[in-house]
Amino acid sequence: MELNGSYVLPASTQKIWEMLMNPDTLAKVTPGISRLELESENVYKAIAEVKIGPVSGKFEGKAEVLHPVVAESFTLNVHQNSKIGNVSAHIKMHLKAVSENETELSFAGKAHMSGLLARTGNRVMSGVANTLTKQFFQNFEDELAAKEQV
Amino acid sequence: MSNKFIGKSVKRIEDKRFITGKGRYTDDIVLPGMTYAYILRSPYAHARIRSIDYSAAEAMQGVVTIMTGEEVGHYGVPCGWQVNFKNGDIMKEPPHPLLVKDKVRHVGDAVAMVVAETRELAQDAAEAIIIDYEVLPAVTDASKAVLPGAPLVHDDVPNNICFDWEIGNPKAEVDEAMASAHHITSLDFVNQRLSPNAMEPRSYIGQYDNVYDKYTLYTSTQNPHLIRLLMCAFVLGLPEHKVRVVGPDVGGGFGSKIYHYTEEALVTLASKKIGRPVKWTETRSEAFQTDAHGRDHVTHAEMGFDAQGNIVGLRIKTFANLGAYLSTFGTAVPTYLHGTLLQGLYTTPKIHLDMTCVFTHTTAVDAYRGAGRPEATFLLERLVDLAALEMGVDPAELRLKNFIPAFDGVTQPGYQTNVALQYDSGNYHSVLERGLEMLGYENFRKEQAEAAKTNKILGVGFSTYIEACGIAPSAVVGSLGARAGLYEVGQVRVQPTGKISVFTGAHSHGQGHETTFAQVVADRLGIPMEDVDIIHGDSDTVAFGMGTYGSRSLAVGGSAIVKSLDKIIEKGAKIAAHKLECSADDIEFKDGKFTVKGTDKSLSFGDIALTAYVPHVYPANLEPGLDFSSFYDPTNFTYPFGCHIAVVEIDKETGFTRVKRFIAVDDVGNVINPMIVDGQIHGGLAQGIGQALFEGVEFDENGQITNGSYMDYTMPRADDLPMFELDRQVTPCPHNPLGVKGAGEAGCIGSTPAVVNAVIDALWSAGHKVKDVRMPMTPERVWKAMQPA
Amino acid sequence: MLCNTLKTNGFCAKALNFYLTYIMPKITLTVNGKTHTHEVEGRLLLVHYLRDTLGLTGTHVGCDTSSCGTCTIHLDGKAIKSCSLLAAQADGSSITTIEGLAPEGELHPLQEGFKEEHGLQCGFCTPGMIMCAADLLSRNPDPTEQEIREGLEGNICRCTGYHNIVRAIQYAAQKSAVAV
Repeated sequence: MELNGSYVLPASTQKIWEMLMNPDTLAKVTPGISRLELESENVYKAIAEVKIGPVSGKFEGKAEVLHPVVAESFTLNVHQNSKIGNVSAHIKMHLKAVSENETELSFAGKAHMSGLLARTGNRVMSGVANTLTKQFFQNFEDELAAKEQV
Repeated sequence: MSNKFIGKSVKRIEDKRFITGKGRYTDDIVLPGMTYAYILRSPYAHARIRSIDYSAAEAMQGVVTIMTGEEVGHYGVPCGWQVNFKNGDIMKEPPHPLLVKDKVRHVGDAVAMVVAETRELAQDAAEAIIIDYEVLPAVTDASKAVLPGAPLVHDDVPNNICFDWEIGNPKAEVDEAMASAHHITSLDFVNQRLSPNAMEPRSYIGQYDNVYDKYTLYTSTQNPHLIRLLMCAFVLGLPEHKVRVVGPDVGGGFGSKIYHYTEEALVTLASKKIGRPVKWTETRSEAFQTDAHGRDHVTHAEMGFDAQGNIVGLRIKTFANLGAYLSTFGTAVPTYLHGTLLQGLYTTPKIHLDMTCVFTHTTAVDAYRGAGRPEATFLLERLVDLAALEMGVDPAELRLKNFIPAFDGVTQPGYQTNVALQYDSGNYHSVLERGLEMLGYENFRKEQAEAAKTNKILGVGFSTYIEACGIAPSAVVGSLGARAGLYEVGQVRVQPTGKISVFTGAHSHGQGHETTFAQVVADRLGIPMEDVDIIHGDSDTVAFGMGTYGSRSLAVGGSAIVKSLDKIIEKGAKIAAHKLECSADDIEFKDGKFTVKGTDKSLSFGDIALTAYVPHVYPANLEPGLDFSSFYDPTNFTYPFGCHIAVVEIDKETGFTRVKRFIAVDDVGNVINPMIVDGQIHGGLAQGIGQALFEGVEFDENGQITNGSYMDYTMPRADDLPMFELDRQVTPCPHNPLGVKGAGEAGCIGSTPAVVNAVIDALWSAGHKVKDVRMPMTPERVWKAMQPA
Repeated sequence: MLCNTLKTNGFCAKALNFYLTYIMPKITLTVNGKTHTHEVEGRLLLVHYLRDTLGLTGTHVGCDTSSCGTCTIHLDGKAIKSCSLLAAQADGSSITTIEGLAPEGELHPLQEGFKEEHGLQCGFCTPGMIMCAADLLSRNPDPTEQEIREGLEGNICRCTGYHNIVRAIQYAAQKSAVAV
């Protein structure tokens, strides 16, 4: 499944970068992720609960940040296992300054599913991915707004 | 002989238990001390197993035993048909282990089996097994699997090619004929993969009795004896006389329950290991992953015509997908059950099929209703219809022009095809002419022209098919590589009171044998049907049998019963002659009575039965008893044929296609029970229409089945189909005693191309001159075909 | 009973889930006119309760996505798919299965119709089809062909192509009309 999206967030690339690299913030803004723990440098243990179409499940696995170029780009490798099937995703994230206080955050990648998830969820998967993407950016924006207020 | 039942729509005897919920399918059976198995399957299409840790699972509540490939991986299920490469090399036959220990090769490949006190506990424990997989790239498309660099399914099978194969005239002759053709119609198409979807999921119970050292396997199968033979001789090495295989009521098969599946051997092994019965019933999700699929051909085909519209040649290149492992008859389907039907109903003088059979990281592919013949029919009928459109001639006319002339196979010889088979009898013009009459062809074309101006366009599609069934003469199939004979066994036991127990090796899973066979027996013996009991499905009571598939039950199994009936009447005549003090030659058997010819002296069938078992007044040198068993080995296949016509309506706005009318005129030889034959045709039509419009197993690039449930795989439902319009012609089979040809698959063989042809016809009528719409012809695909390129 | 109370009180889903998984609720229900009381595992589906606990194996399981309809029964007079309900949720209800559709030794007009019109082959979908059709006819005693086909949307038959099932239901509708 292809994963693509981009959105302009009202903050500097440096600020967005910091938020992305902070597991607590990332856990907060990423839909479905309930916990993100730093295991070693750039490697996180991730626990997610996702309901995708007719199947829902609790996922446990690893998220890894590869090739980080500060305030510019990184690659996210995710492997998640669950009783209803496994997901692995490889996503390239790009940050681009639109103006001093605006950053275009875009990502492109692929996700592979197996098991029940692939068999019964596939039909609705791209729709779900779009929804999750929208949520992600919305959450990000909310989080930024919240930080502004503080 | 009497004529009270044959040819009549006698209501089915078996219905009573099914309509009251008393049918007994395997999963309904509960044995004392029974345990339940759950099979842990690979979520990946291709992966190396680094490790399996089942220590936590083993310690869980209710777990009785856990088996893995380490323990049983050396056992594997066999392929039942050997096909050789063009150069004579034997096909590649990699092992298919009961449980995999090194590498999984398709989603659903079995890795471990948990046996526990309940189904739920077994599943709980299976979820606690930790398997470390190294995921590898997978290939699912047969035409891509042969390309250099494609991931290998089996390390020792180069290019994933199981074998290549050809049939027909020498390739050079066909090339020459095609070079001389005035017009060539060519078509690239995919005959997509289907999931058979018998409504009863597969279910097995293994039971080992240590007192008698005897195994019993209850299995939802189409052929219990074949399962016993394969499991004993080729898989577990068990003594056949110590194994009983029972096929109770079986909820549909359509081919998918012919094969010997790994789980049958697994429950048998496990029951011995733990000394308790072990039941395994698959879920529908598992059925989508593990019940052998059907079809899956990628084809390039060309048909050449001369200036007068006569077919001059047919040239085909096909890649057939066999899946990851060889299923029992997986190799025979794309070859001997497909290539041999490419003559169709036409006088095509030169034919060549080049076939490559390929392993991929997918569920095994084997016979599914029609088995090879639907693929052959689809190819021929799509080409002929498309050629008619391209040449601007009428598709019905083009067929009539090229049909083989009628022959009865008695006074006229059978028709020798260019692809090995010799047709028994046929009158091909008759079915098409009757079909056109039912359609009201001229009127239809007027309606169609009107509709082309509206938003709901109309199309008509023809399909005139022939199939080979009543499989098959053992010597013929043996010479072609079959590892079994394909005769059938029929035993008729006359009880002392004149009641009849018939034991047949055929196995009903919906076909109504208990009724049809009883009609034959009752009429032959001139007794009431309620005096006849048809017994099938138990290897301990039925001597032997090859089972039910290939529309063979009545043509082969029925003939075996008739042979035994003949022996009974012959012996009965001897007993009657002795009692009536005349020569056996003077005895005539009619309407249930043995009569001295030309007199009114007679004895009833019941009298003779009793005398045979109480032989006080009895011929010398004649054994007591009245019980005969016969093996019937047919001398040829049977060749039903017919004409299917679909009328479709397409919504131009949405591409939604509705089958408005469906006409089927079939010739299946003599008919014993018209109601049951019509029912068989109806069901076949639904499956054939299902392939055209709704069904198809889809894989993603990693080999995951993306529509492995009824939420995603579109099964034809009641409001997807019209009432069917049926008629039949009767050209009796000249080489079996009942003159029957078989009706189980006909509906499924003819109908698919009729629907596709109708859609293409509709599209052309509205100016969209496309060659093909890929099946299933979803609204999206049809809509796209109507958009400017 | 406790289970129903929990539901009606809108108890949070998590607690209900825990309760159904780890506690054995006691249920009392009437099946084919007979009252049964059992302790059942919380996660036990109604279809498995009918098949395994009561031995009423006429109700079948044909899928795992509540799509095929072979498990159709009547709960308080309405056709439902018994795979989509927990046994605990059926507490206090009155259930009819195929075995109880007609008195022993008699046939319901639909059962008769299925036999007369060859509305079944392998018989596996048949109980669900009949129970579904009985509900359809109780709501619409004289359905058109199209209404019958739409009424059978939730039930899959792989053998008959539905042609004779439609005719079987028409047969029953006619027969019932005459009887009234």
